[in-house]
This record gives sequence, C-alpha cells and structure tokens, in this order.
Amino acid sequence: MNGTATCEFQPKDYKSDLKPIWCPGCGDFGVLQGIYRALAAIGRPPHEIAFVSGIGCSSRIPGYTTAYGFNSVHGRSLPIAQGIKMANPDLLVLAAGGDGDGFSIGGGHLAHMVRRNMDIAYIVMDNQIYGLTKGQLSPTSHKGLTTCTSRHGSLEEPVNPLLYMLAYGAGFVAQAAPTDLAGMATIIEAAIRYPGFAFVNIQSPCVTYGMEEQQIKGLKAMQESLEALGHDSSDRLAAMDLAQHYGRKLHLGVFYRNPEPPPTYGDLVKARQEELSKNALPVENILDLFIKK
Amino acid sequence: MSDQSPAHNLVFGMAGSGGDGIVSAGDSLLQAAAAEGYHGVMTKSFGSQIRGGESSCRVRISTDPILNPGGNLDVAVALNWEDFLKFGAELPVSGTTVVIYEAATLIPPDRIPLVGVVPRQVIPVPIAQMAKDTAGTERAKNTVVLGLIAGWFGIGAVAVMKGIRKKLAKKGEELVEANQRAFDAGRAFAMANPLKVNMNIVPSETKGAVKLITDGNDMCAAAAIFAGCRFFGGYPITPSTEIMQFFTDHVWKYGGSVLQAEDEIAGIGAAVGASFAGVKAMTATSGPGLSLKTEMMGLATIAELPLVIVDVQRGGPSTGLPTKNEQADLFAAVFSAHGDVIRPVLAPTCVADTFRITVEAFNIAEFYQTPVIILSDQEISQRKETLDPIDTRQFEVIDRLEPSAIDLKDYKRFAPTENFISPISHPGMLGGTYLASGIEHTESGAPTNSGTVHARMNEKRTRKFEPLKDRKDLFEVLGNPDAPLAMVAWGSVAGVCREALQMAQEEGLNVKLMVPYLLYPVAEGAYRDFFASVRKGLIIEQTHLAQFHKLLRMHLDLPSGVRPLARSGANPFLPGEIVAALHNLLSELQRRHEGKLQPQE
Ligand SMILES: Cc1ncc(C[n+]2csc(CCOP(=O)(O)OP(=O)(O)O)c2C)c(N)n1
Ligand code: SF4
Repeated sequence: MNGTATCEFQPKDYKSDLKPIWCPGCGDFGVLQGIYRALAAIGRPPHEIAFVSGIGCSSRIPGYTTAYGFNSVHGRSLPIAQGIKMANPDLLVLAAGGDGDGFSIGGGHLAHMVRRNMDIAYIVMDNQIYGLTKGQLSPTSHKGLTTCTSRHGSLEEPVNPLLYMLAYGAGFVAQAAPTDLAGMATIIEAAIRYPGFAFVNIQSPCVTYGMEEQQIKGLKAMQESLEALGHDSSDRLAAMDLAQHYGRKLHLGVFYRNPEPPPTYGDLVKARQEELSKNALPVENILDLFIKK
Repeated sequence: MSDQSPAHNLVFGMAGSGGDGIVSAGDSLLQAAAAEGYHGVMTKSFGSQIRGGESSCRVRISTDPILNPGGNLDVAVALNWEDFLKFGAELPVSGTTVVIYEAATLIPPDRIPLVGVVPRQVIPVPIAQMAKDTAGTERAKNTVVLGLIAGWFGIGAVAVMKGIRKKLAKKGEELVEANQRAFDAGRAFAMANPLKVNMNIVPSETKGAVKLITDGNDMCAAAAIFAGCRFFGGYPITPSTEIMQFFTDHVWKYGGSVLQAEDEIAGIGAAVGASFAGVKAMTATSGPGLSLKTEMMGLATIAELPLVIVDVQRGGPSTGLPTKNEQADLFAAVFSAHGDVIRPVLAPTCVADTFRITVEAFNIAEFYQTPVIILSDQEISQRKETLDPIDTRQFEVIDRLEPSAIDLKDYKRFAPTENFISPISHPGMLGGTYLASGIEHTESGAPTNSGTVHARMNEKRTRKFEPLKDRKDLFEVLGNPDAPLAMVAWGSVAGVCREALQMAQEEGLNVKLMVPYLLYPVAEGAYRDFFASVRKGLIIEQTHLAQFHKLLRMHLDLPSGVRPLARSGANPFLPGEIVAALHNLLSELQRRHEGKLQPQE
C-alpha cells in the first residue's frame, strides 16, 4: 500500500537539482512545493516512487522531484502509470499534468482509469489554458474566452473535471489551490493515502497566457473551504451538487472520499495470480499446451 | 503426384455456409493427421458476415515437413456451390482435383460451375441426406464429409473418429453415436464408389510421435511468456486478438498481468510503463492499431525502453481487408515515426519459427533497449500447423543490462558507453532514479534542447544497432549459394518460396532463395554477399507497391536483373506461379547471353 512510512524524509529530499523552466509566478511552483510536503509526510523513499506526466508546462513536474520520473507524450500519463502499477504494485505511483493533457487529448483515458481503480493519485494543474503552446483554448476555458485560437471568443462549454470524475465513479475527488499551500499538501497526501484511484484538481494559474493579476485576485475571492461549509465528504450526491459550481466558486477540499474503498485493481490482480499460478506448467514446458492427445 | 502410386501430400479445400461446420471438420482432419504422424497445415477463410456467412478451410497433409498450405487442391469439397465459388482463388481447382459436392444441389457433374477446368473426377454425394438418415440432423454433414475423406484418402478412420468423440463427449453419448453413424455412412459410401485413381496417402513413418498443433498467434504469445514477458497491454483487432486471449488465459500463472485497454494508445502506453518499471512487456495489433501506436513507439525509442510490438498484417490501408493476408505494413513498421529512428523489425515465416523469432524479438528489445516490431501476418497468425516438439531449453533468454553497484554510485541513465548501450535501472532500485522522457535529454536524463546533445544522442540511439546487422542467424540461404538465379522472400510468402525452390530445382533450375528474418535495419552485407552471384532474381512479396524491393534498393544496389514479383493480397502466391516466373527469368538470361551463360549444375 501507498501510505506506509519507512523512514524520516524532509520535503527537500524530494527536490531534484533541475531548475524549473516555469515563468516566475506560475502556479505550478506552488503545486511542486505541495507535492514535496505531501511526499515527506508519507515518507516513502524517492526510489520507490514513480511519477508520470504527459506534455505541457505542468507535465515537467516529475523532473523536479528525486523520484523515478517519466515525462512522456501528450495526454498519455495515465496509461503509462497504469502499466507501471501493474508491473510493480509495490511502487507509489503518481501521475500529473495539465488540463489540456488530461481532459482534452487524454480525456478518453479518464473513465477507464476510474473503472480500473488502480492505486494511483492523479494531480491536474488546471490553468484553463494551454501554457506550453502559448495560450490556446483549453477544455476547461470558460465559454467566450478570447485566445489566439478563439479570437472571437470560444463557442464551447468547458468540461467540469470534478463532475466528470464523480460521475465516472472515482473513489476520491478533491480540489486544491496553491494559494492555500498547507491545505493543498494535506489534500495531496490524502489522495496518495487513499487506497485506489484518487483525483486532485488544482487551480494553478498561468500568469503568462492565462490570468491577469486582477483575475488571480478574483480567484482568491471565489475560494471557499468545503470543510468550512460543513460538507460531508462521504456523500457523493452532495459532492456532485457542489461540483456543479466549478468555474464559479473555488471549493477547496475533499468533495468525495469513498468511506468503504473497494479492493483495488492491484488486490484483484494479486488474488488472480495466486489462484492461477497453482496450475502453471514450468515455463520451459509451455508448449505442452499445444499437444493434442 | 503420379496417378497410380499413393500420395505423399494431399491438399483438401472445403467450403460451405456458416453452420456447416467446415472449419471444425478441418480441425478434426488436421488432428487426425497429426495423430497418424503426418505433417499438416490448415488455413481458414471467412466471408465478411459475422455469423452464418460462407466459410472455408484448406488442409494440407504430408508425409514430409511443409511450410505452406499448398497450391491447387487435390480434393475440393463443396457443400454448396455459391459459397465454394466465393473462395475461387483461395481454393483453386485444377485438372488433378477430385471434386466432391452436395448432390442435393441437383447440378449434373458435367455442368458444375467451374469455368474452364475439367477436374480429374467429379462426385456428387447426397451429404445432407446421409446426415439426416444416420444422425437425424443435417448438422452432421461435416462428419459425413470426414467419413468420405477417411474412406477415399486413407486418413486414419480411427484417429478421425477418436477426435470427434472427444469433441462431442461433453454433449452426451447419444450425439457421439449419431456422429459415428454419419461417419460410417460417409466411409461406406467411399468404399462402395472407389476413385478412378488411387489417392490414398502413404502411411507416415512417424505414427504415434508427439506433435503439437497450434497457430502463429498462440505460438507468439507462448514464446513471449517463455521469453519472460510478464505484461501485455492491447486492444482487440483482427487478426491479432488471439495473442491477447492467450495472455489472459495464461500469463497470470507466471506472476504477470494483462490489460485490455480502452484503445491501442493506452495498450502500448501501459506496456511502455511496465517496461519502465522493469518488466518485459508486449503489445499486439494489426494495421490500424499500428498507426495509433506510432507516437508511443517513438517515445520508447528515445527513452530507450525495451518493448515488443506485434503487428499481424492484414490487407490495408485503413480497415482494408480485415480477415485476409497482405505484407503491406512493411513501410509502416519500418518508417512510421517522426525523427531519426531505427527500430528493428523481425518477421517469422511459419508457425514453428514464430517461437524463435518472438524469443529473438525480446532478446533484441532487452539487449538494445528498444522497441522491436514482429511483423507477422494473417496467414501465419491464424493458420494451424502440426509441429514436432520444440526443445525450448536451446533458446537463450537475454535480460536488460542493469547498473552495477559502481554504476549506481553516480548513476547516469544514458551514459555513453563503447557499444552505446547504457545500464538501465527501474523504479525501486536505490540509487538509480532518473527522468525518462520523450524530450531530448542529456546523459543523466535531464531535458535539453541542445543541438549538440541531440546529435550525440541520435548517434547513440542509431549506432547501437550496427552489430545486429551482422547476425548471420537472422538470415537463411537455401539452394545453390553460387546460383545466378535468385529469390528473396519474407514472412508467410517465404514458406511458399521454399516449396517453389524445391520444385524449381527438381526442374533443373540453378536457383537459390534468401529468407530474411531481420527486415530492418537492412543488413547490407548479407544481401551483398547473396547477390554477388546473381544475374536475375525476384523479390517476392504480397504488396502492391513492392515495398520490400524498394526498401532494399534504398540501402544497396541490386543487380539490374532483379525485379519485384509483387501483388496485393489477399490471394496467396502459388508455388507453381513462382516457378513459372523463374523460368521466364532463366529464358531471358539465356536469350541475352545467346547460350553463353548456361546454368551450372
Ligand atoms: C500529440 C501532440 N499534440 C500536440 C502537442 C503540443 N502540445 C504540447 S503541450 C500542449 C497543451 C498543454 O496544455 P496543458 O496540458 O493544459 O498544460 P500547461 O502547459 O497549460 O501546463 C499541446 C497542445 C504535443 N506535444 N503532442
Ligand atoms: S506559460 Fe503559464 S503555465 Fe506555462 S510556465 Fe508560464 S505561467 Fe506556467
């Protein structure tokens, strides 16, 4: 399981020598700090962690940690993370990326990630814009947003990542923001500790192509803690109600945590392996399967 | 086959409607033949309807090892003519074919709808009626046919019936008895109406010897598990799906797992992830799936991760001919990637060598830290062959080079080494952490956009394959090594060419055949040696564009008399057709030299 502490680690133990390429003021710096803290709180040594991402500014994040990182191709962090977890269920597997990476090109993988319920935490740095390719419309951009690919304003409704995940049946759905660093670290830690697939949406502003200073202030004004609202995180329907506010209110905290987590995919795989290995031919004799008596 | 002496080799072709049990009859025939010690190959072919359409099978049985399903039929069984004729080119009837057909079609023997061919003998048999009379149901038609075959061609009546009994045992003794009666009726009919010429097959000398029966897909999957593959990620697509099915049946037993992903991209993505995690991994697909997987193949190339990708070719482009054979994914396998990429491509030629080639694919993938494509095809993947037992212990299994304790002191994942291959760590290994990436990286794995580093890394990733081209065991040369006349063929077509070579040699041609198992990188040296003696030759392949011919010409100068014998799928090449083309070449050669250059024996 993900959460067993083996020795004492400090957040700095997870910080690599690479210098982030992010623009000064980018929200992703804060997310990185939150991840360091969460990992230190959990205490798994870096070499037992596999941290996968796709492509985008945000997807550079694994390289800034001392874990085994995999900065893969656009939209595909989740399949790769699943392969890693299936190959070695003992690893702590994290996936991360941007909203474009996760909900646009990679959107088809989300439902299946949830269905398989592998013990993987997925962190999306949702800046509602494409950062790396310099400011195009993203699937979470609000309707009417003017960008270099939507000069006259976008015509599409944004996707609602929180509602998607809840509707797909994810066992852990939360939202955080680097403006509340301590809260974010706690949420990421809880996501990692959740035995099963866990999703954290982080409102991480892009200061270069996304929000002006004014808007970031506005974002702060929208902030509202779910805990303070008295939300019961074991109530999935209530969580869905609150998730409807995505884009209008910035609810921070755990929307839903399945109080009775079902067995993970890894548990099921292990059970199947144990059951079936009892009648395995030695692998050298595998061709005996083709002898017709 | 001479007319009076018994045969060493018989080719059966049968066709009927979906419910006629044609394929099941073919299976029984092949199994009985194996039990009697014969070698056999069976292919099946279906119409495009999912259920109830026409289906056919072709079973070739021989006292000697065979590598293809043969040419013209010796025996044609038509349960109805409409369905039979849909397989015109796959089931070619000639003047030496005995045609057996359902008498209820009410077509007189001299009016059967075979345009321009007069078969050796044509026999109407009331198959449906016999099935009804003996078993009480027309469903036993296939058993009647098996009885006829046993009676006329001497294929062990006991073995056939034993197989049928086993197949039906679960369904109750009553059904077994009914089928026994249908079988006996077929056999009695054959005994009472002997053929004009004896077509009994010679008894095999290896009766009772253990034989395996399997197809290329199952063989590939079994070989992968033997080679240490413990993860499969894929998405169903004809004709590759059986590979995933085999994994889901068996890989768990060996501590592995399998993922039926949401699409091809996720399938190969999971395999890339598993490989990164240190486990041997595979994915399998067919043309359209290969198109989807290309971005991930580039990723595995630049991240230097071992991975085996099976592409079971079918007719393309796009959805093309899903159930029929072609070799036209060659360019896609070799080239479909952006950037400078060398990706080894291997091709088996028959079910038996699929084992060795699959193990090789894993060894190459692990040793060179690279994706490797196994270019199989519909013909090999879905045809069944009888095989002599394979001693798996003779195959070496190679694992990737892991960093030593010293390497791990100051570990650099992509460290420059003499052979360009760097030790590879995996998550869980203390001291080995690094960043794998699709982005260009320095020796340590740090992202870079330095052109100098990129050039150096490109060199590392391509030069590491040089030794692979020297692997003599990935090429086979048959026939006279100094022959002026030559054939080159790969994949299932190579199996046909092996037989064409034999036929041509029996006809006195001085000819040789090269069968490459390694298609890419092109081993210039091996071909140069082969073509040194060659004046005329054929590159034989099932593509419209003569892809292999073009690939070779990209890499070396071929003698001017070497040309492609290339055509689209799906109809298989026939050995006789190839021999005819060789005769043409030879006469050109002789004309040009006005008799000066005679083939030397
Ligand atoms: C197959 C493919 N298509 C497009 C791109 C170009 N691309 C790179 S990042 C990106 C979008 C990044 O946006 P997001 O995922 O939101 O991340 P951010 O940069 O905002 O953190 C795109 C379109 C690519 N690398 N690969
Ligand atoms: S472009 Fe935006 S998302 Fe990318 S680093 Fe700069 S601020 Fe961050």
